[in-house]
This record gives sequence, C-alpha cells and structure tokens, in this order.
Amino acid sequence: MNWSLFFDLTVSGLTLGSLYALIALGYSMVYGILKLLNFAHGDVYMIGAFLGWYALHALGGPMNPTFTGAVVLLLMFVVAMLGCGVLGVAIERFAYRPLRNAPRIAPLISALGVSIFLQNSALLIFGAAFRDYDTFDLIGVKTYNIGNLFFSVPQLLTVVAAIGLMIALTVFVARSRLGKAMRSTSFDREAASMMGIDVDRVISVTFFIGSALAGAAGVMFALVFGQIYHFMGFIAGLKGFTAAVLGGIGSIPGAMVGGLIVGLAESYATGYLPQGSTFQNLYVFALLILVILIRPSGLFGTAQIQKV
Amino acid sequence: MTTDATMLELREVDKSFGGLRVIADLDLIVKEHEIVSVIGPNGAGKTTLFNLITGIYRPDSGEIQLDGRNLVGLSPHKITELGIARTFQTLRLFLNMTVKENVMAAQYGHTKVGLLRSMVRTPAARREEKEIHHLAEEKLSFFGDRLMGYRWDQFAYSLSYANRRRLEIARAMATEARILLLDEPAAGMNPSETHEITELIGTLRDVGGYTILVIEHDMHVVEGISDRVVALDHGVKIAEGSFEAVATDPRVVEAYLGLRRTETK
Amino acid sequence: MEQSPDTPRIGVDEWVASVEGKRERYTGLRGAVFRNWDRLPPAARVLVFAVPAAIFPFLTSQGNVFRYGLFTLVYALLALGLNIVVGFAGLLDLGYVAFFGTGAYLYAILASPQFGNHWQAEAAIPVVVIATAVVGLLVGLPSRRLLGDYLAILTLFFGQAFVVFVNNANRINFPFFGHVDLTGGSNGIANIDPFNFFGYKIDSTMKQYFLLLIAVSLLLILLMFVNESRTGRAWRALREDPLAAEVMSIPVNRLKLLAFVCGAAVAGLTGAIYGTIATAALPGDYDVGLLITIYAIMILGGFGSIMGIVVGAVIVSSVPELLRSSANARPLFYGAILVALVVKVRPWRLLAAEFGALVALGFGIHGIASAAYPRLVQGESIGSGAIPRALDHWMLYPRDAVKIADLAYIVLIAAIVVYPQLGRLWRAILLPPLLYLIMFVWENLLLLHIGGATRLILLGALLVALMNVRPQGLFGTATVEIV
Repeated sequence: MNWSLFFDLTVSGLTLGSLYALIALGYSMVYGILKLLNFAHGDVYMIGAFLGWYALHALGGPMNPTFTGAVVLLLMFVVAMLGCGVLGVAIERFAYRPLRNAPRIAPLISALGVSIFLQNSALLIFGAAFRDYDTFDLIGVKTYNIGNLFFSVPQLLTVVAAIGLMIALTVFVARSRLGKAMRSTSFDREAASMMGIDVDRVISVTFFIGSALAGAAGVMFALVFGQIYHFMGFIAGLKGFTAAVLGGIGSIPGAMVGGLIVGLAESYATGYLPQGSTFQNLYVFALLILVILIRPSGLFGTAQIQKV
Repeated sequence: MTTDATMLELREVDKSFGGLRVIADLDLIVKEHEIVSVIGPNGAGKTTLFNLITGIYRPDSGEIQLDGRNLVGLSPHKITELGIARTFQTLRLFLNMTVKENVMAAQYGHTKVGLLRSMVRTPAARREEKEIHHLAEEKLSFFGDRLMGYRWDQFAYSLSYANRRRLEIARAMATEARILLLDEPAAGMNPSETHEITELIGTLRDVGGYTILVIEHDMHVVEGISDRVVALDHGVKIAEGSFEAVATDPRVVEAYLGLRRTETK
Repeated sequence: MEQSPDTPRIGVDEWVASVEGKRERYTGLRGAVFRNWDRLPPAARVLVFAVPAAIFPFLTSQGNVFRYGLFTLVYALLALGLNIVVGFAGLLDLGYVAFFGTGAYLYAILASPQFGNHWQAEAAIPVVVIATAVVGLLVGLPSRRLLGDYLAILTLFFGQAFVVFVNNANRINFPFFGHVDLTGGSNGIANIDPFNFFGYKIDSTMKQYFLLLIAVSLLLILLMFVNESRTGRAWRALREDPLAAEVMSIPVNRLKLLAFVCGAAVAGLTGAIYGTIATAALPGDYDVGLLITIYAIMILGGFGSIMGIVVGAVIVSSVPELLRSSANARPLFYGAILVALVVKVRPWRLLAAEFGALVALGFGIHGIASAAYPRLVQGESIGSGAIPRALDHWMLYPRDAVKIADLAYIVLIAAIVVYPQLGRLWRAILLPPLLYLIMFVWENLLLLHIGGATRLILLGALLVALMNVRPQGLFGTATVEIV
C-alpha cells in the first residue's frame, strides 16, 4: 500500500472537496428557497477568480505588493467575495425576480442566458488566454509535512478557509434572525411572507452569501492551481452541482459533505481507477448517476412529500 | 333486491407518514351499484384513502381488492385500467388542453393504436380516433348542454369553476371505469349547483351503472345520495350505516363539534 | 371581445376572461392570418414551408446553400426531435446533442476508412437510428422516476460524459480486442462516405439539401399527425400533470421513455446525415454550444409549436452568419434597438424628445472630448460604411480603446441592471446617456469581437430578455400553470 500516494490523493481530494463544497452551498441554498437551478453559479465562481486577480494586480502584483502577503491575500478574498456577492444579487434582481410567477422553465432559460452572457463577457474582457496567478512569491512554494502527509500552503489555506466559512454559515443560519427567515422561506415561501418575513430580502441575502462563497472558492482555486480562464466555471459548476445533489439539494450540511465526497472521489479516481486522470470527470458523473438512482433525495435531503 | 357483489374491499389497511398514522386498521366494503359516502373532519384521512385505493400511496399493511383482485403494488394507471377512476379535491385538469382533449386523453388505457400507426394514420388508427371522439362526446353529454358544442374546443382553464368540476367527472368517466371515486364533488358550489351535482351522482348510478364512493362535507349532498355512510376520524372508522344512524352517532358528533360542555364534568 | 378598461365586469371570471381575450384578440391582418393558418390541414402547412425552401437553392450561390440552407435544416431536424422530448412530453433533456453525436460517430464507424467499413445508406441508416434509439432507452431508463430537475442534471451529465468519452476513446484497452481506436480521439473520424442509396450517391450540396428538405418535411407531417393522436394527447397530458395523467390510465413512465427514444432516434438520423455533410465526426461539434443553439431555436420558436421551430431554426441559423461582418451587424443591432425603442417608448412626443436629447448629448460629449481630452476621439471606427462615417463626429472613438471600453462595458452591465428599478422620471432622463453608453460599447468593443464573443453575449442577453417579455417564445401559446 503506497501510503504517500494515498496521502497525496487525500490532501488534493480535501482541497478540491472544499472548493466543491463552497460552490455546492450556493446551489443548495438557492434551490432550497426558489426551487431554481442557478446555472450561472459556476460563472460567478469564475468571476471571483478574476476579481481576485485584478485585486492582486491593483495592489502591486505578486512581485511588488504594497502590503504584506497575508494582507494582500485577505484583500483579494474580500474583493472577490464582495464583488461576487453583489453580482449574485444583481443577477437575481434582473434575471430571476421578474420570473417568479412565470412557468418554471422560464427562470431556467434565463439562468442559461446569464451563464452564456457571463462566460462570454469574461472572454470579451479578459481574453481567451489563461491568466496566471503567480502567487508563489507571495505565499511561498514550500510544502509542509506531517509525517507522510505533504501539503502546500494554498492547499492548507483552502481547506482551513473553507471550513471557517462553512462554520460561519452554519452558525449564521442556525442562530441569526435572518438565518431563521432563510430556513422558513425555504420551507414555504408564501407562508413565510404572510408571517411578516421580507421574502425578497431573504432571497437577496441568500444569493449574496452563495455567490460570495463561490467567489472565495474561485480565488482559492486560482491560488492552488495557478491558472484561470473564462470557461473554468462550467465544469466546476457541474461538479459543485453534483456535490449539492449528492448531499441532498436544499440541505446545507449536505452540500458540505457532498462537496468533500466528490472531491475525494475525483482525487482517488485519478490515482486508483483505470485511466483515471483522463476519465476523472466521467467517474464523477457516474457517481452522481448512482446516487440519483439509489437515493434521489441525496444523503441529507428529505424525500419530498407531495400533498395530493 | 338481490345482494350485489362486493366490488371494492379494503381489509385492515394501515398507512403512516413518518410518525403520523393517517389510516389505522381500516375495513371498508363497497358493493356494486352502491353509493357510499365517506365523511369526517379535515385531516381524517379521507383523501389518503382515495390515494391508497388508486395506487398513489402504498399501504403499509392490509389488503385492497377489486372484484377479488389485489390492487396493492400495482401502478396507478393499471388500477385505473382495472376499473377505478377518481376526481381530485383540488381539481387537476389538463388545463392547457381543450375540454374534449381532456376527456379523450383519459381513454388511453382502453385504446390500442400505438405511435407508429398514429404517425402514418392507418385506417385502423383513424377508426379508433373516431371512436375516441364519439365516446368523449357521449360522456360530455351527460352534463346537458354545458360541455357540448362550442365548448369542446375551449381550453379547460377557461371554464367556470362548476364546469371544471363537471369536466373532471366526465374525464373520469371516459376511462370506462366501473367505480368512481369523487373527492368533494360539490366543494365550492352554490346551492343550485350543489343540487345539480346531487342529482347527477344519482343519475351516474342509475343510468350510467357506476358504483360510487364519495367524499363530501356538505351533509345535504350526503343525505341526498347515500346508500351508506362511513365516518372517519384520525384515520379510524368511527361509524358506518345509513345517513340517519351515522349523523346522530355521538362519536361522529363529537368528532365534528367536540364534546358537549355538560359532559366534560 | 370588448374590454372595458377599469371597471370589473360582474359575473365574469376576470382572470379567465383576460387570458382568453389575449388568445383570441388578434385583430386585423394578424388575426386573419392566424385564423386561416389554424384551418389549414397539416400537409398544406408543410407546403407553405417546403415550397419556398425548395426554390431557395436556385436563387442563390452554392456557398450560401451550404452555409444557410444545410445548417438550417439540420438544426430544424434536431430541434424537432428535441421538441418531442421537451415540447410534447415536457421532459428537460440537456444531453440531447449526445444522441446527435452518437448517430454521427456510429455512421462514421460504419462508413469511413476508420474501420474499413463502407456500408450503404439503406443498411447503415436503420442501424444507426435503432442503435441511437437503444442508447436513448438506456439513458431514459434511470430517468423515468425522476422529477424534472433531476432529469435535467442526469441528461446534462450524460452529454458531458459523451464528449469526454469521444475525446478519449482512442486509447481504450478492451479485454479481448486489445487496443482499439474507436472514435479517433480529439481528431475525430475523417473522410466519412457520402450516403449511397442502392448505388445513388448523395455527394453534392444540392443533393444533400434536398435530402434534408425531404427529411424535414416528412418529420413535420409525422409530428403533426402524432400531436393529434392518442400518444400525442397522452404526452401532453403527461406534460400538464403527470400525477393526474397516471390516474387517468396513462402509463407515464412508459411514455416518458417513448419520448426519449423517439427524440434520440431523430437525433441519430440527423447525426448520420450531418456526418456526411461535415465529412468528419469531431468531438467539439457535439458539445454545449450546439445544445444551446438548439434550445435557443426551441425557445424562440416556442415550445411545442412545430412550425415555430422551423422559423426559429431559420433565425438562429442565419442571424449569427449575418452578424459575422460589421457591415451586416451594425444595421441589425441599431435596427433592433430602434424597434425596441419605438415599441417601448410612448407617446411619440417622448420618443422624439429622447432622440433629440440623444443627438444633442452625443455632439456635446464629442465636443467636450475634442477640446479637453483629445485622446478620446483620435481612434478609428471599426469597419466602414455609411453608419460609421455618420457617427464620426458624434461618437467617441478613443485611441487604445480597449481599457476604456472594458470599463465602459462593466459600467453598462451595472447600468442595465439598475435601470429597470428606477422610477419613470429617472428612466426618461437617463435613457439618452444609457443609449449613448450602449452605442459606445458597441462601436468600440463589441464590434471588435463580432466574430466571436459578441454573438454569444447577445444571445445570452436575448434569452434573458425573451423570458422576461414573452416566456412562451415567438409562436408558443401562453400556458396556464397552477403553481
């Protein structure tokens, strides 16, 4: 048993899993409240990565930062998260809210339109070439290790930050008034509005949080993998979506666990399954299909009981 | 009158959702050509009963038989083909299809022409289409002029509420079922419409030969149509018999109105 | 139907009446056209399309027939097939183009140098269609019990899996056969044979065009027949309310499968035909881009409207081609804006005032810029023609426009999001600056990328706008849904 391979795969699986978990949260929360599959969510993640890039270069670039590395990183995250949060709210306002009472397929198509629009706007402005993050000088290339377990700073950062964000989210949803409002709105929107909850505000906040998390994930991805491009949201979005479904769409803990499972599965597939690295996406999809067939409501989801 | 055969039989049927027992150890018999009413306060499990019979839910235990044939585990469309059709409490018409199309669609189970023959319109396909049209018109004519003529090509969503209820009954009839489950057919109707429905249900049995199981809240209707009344409360059958017997049964009164103040001492 | 504006009419269900009124209110020419259209038998309706389409190749060059004609018909076939799944049965299939690809690759395997097979069309086509239908069955089987959104995901992933598979299937090690190059990997399979029906080869653009035309016309008629048949009604009932349909003796799961299989069969056939047109099967042809195109056709045309799909195919196929050059793109773009303004801005006086303000604003900005920031007007307008010459002293053309234009683009997006939230007065005041900004971004940025990103940006914007304005598409009927 090649332990060092196993640990490597585990570390990268956890890293990937953290990213997918963050993306999955956005999908799950929005679906929970609006029953809408937000196709544009993956592209918000992509925009986050680019916002981080611009923030980095506005602060002097990786070679010549105006502040210390940690501060620059923090600012990158803040910029990406705020920017994406606002973007998410804008998308909801513009493309989904007018369609609340339209036939169910209309918001789906609108989401598709937004996704196409975002991807190609990014192409327009940023160009088709991959952009490098080049943050090595900022963070350092060193790999640390605990025994046989090797990891790099970006990987550690990703996992820790993701865990931190998820804890914050869980506490927020469980304890705060707004969190309670979010939960009740996801159960029954009409009833919530009749109980005095400002449903529009709750939905906007949901989009803000989900998109901010995706934005953070975008920056994390770029820190770990070093390159960003306008199309990166598509596959990441699909996998984040897989994670959300796996965990039970609409469920916050489900999204987190689902993300980790997908990340680990993908990582182990590259290492252990035949022709894993070429077909890694296929294996992830196969996993999703298996889950949908065996347990359509996902791990933590509640089977929808339809009142007839 | 000779005793009619037992048509529908439920034996010790149980159904729970999570921790909530919705139907508890229910026995029910409906004989051919009978009109049986099911009454009970809201939440008593009446619609669940219909859902169990039509196969939408599966009972946790117990038997449901039609003419001695087991229904449990069969898919709903199969159960309908065997002869049971229903209407819905909240009306579930095919709104974006015309009146006639609603009634024609329900004939799927007893018609045969498949996709290939429809595509090329063989003579057999055209003949069956004509028959489908004819049967639809026949069922719609049950309701007088209301759903006839120009109404055939009107979309279902444009009908008035009472007409929509009638259309749903016509649609159920078109499945060529022998037993109809009507879920609150008179809900939301004014007195004259209610009177019409009461007469209609009688006609359905007398002229149409249907066996009918009705859920109703309006006691005038129940009184007017029922051979037998069954009262449910919290999933349990609390009374059964003629209308007079059930309406005055103290347990039924309590279920609807609560205990009398003097009796709580 | 007389509609009194404000007072409620006693005894009439207002909501029902308003919906009914909308459906039948077409008066004048439009009304006459619609009423007569509805009365035509299916064969006649198809002729209305087929006859002009048959004449078209004789009126234009071979190149145009290839670019506009063939692709339009291929798209139409695909969209019609997808319509069976989405429009008739109401199932959201996001992996549909994978069936298209399956058909193309299967035919390529049967009739190309890849494996040395050179099957004749009369044998190859049925095999391809049936095989693709079987694949459709396999994909549909797990989907039977799924609610709409899950079905969408499953099919989306199948579509992605197909692309991944086809891209990499040149390196598979099968247990008995050893190393097999099934699909040529990212290079695909080239030199696909043209159709060979009993010796008669379909090897010219004209012959391919007419083959496609026959296929489309036949499919149109078949679909129209099916729509009015027992199966068509069952599909529509299933789309309306699957639970009620099931209880009304309709075997919902079986019919869903049937829709899937039929859609896949049509896609497989189209794939084989497309294989002969493109003469190669390449993985990139069967990806999300095509999926979006076909859905755009269905959305534009209106779900369920068969002839609407044909119109949609014509539009979606020709407009992007037309937009390839700035000479064509400009009139189209400005024309569209003009139409939108004329339709939306009432009364006439306001419209005229807005135009006047816009013209004045442009000159004003240009004047200030020339004087104070000359760099902003020293650039060149893109392309040539009457419009850019007219705009030369009115619109800003900065030197090194890229950065400013990028920034302007982002500002524009923000502006468009905020604009509808404003009150009437502000909207009237801010319309000219907004229009100027739109034109600035168009002239300096979007036109630059007219061959690439711009078309898709416009498509995305169009989809969002279309859903807001007319969710049922151009020819669809507004459906009534009880949520």
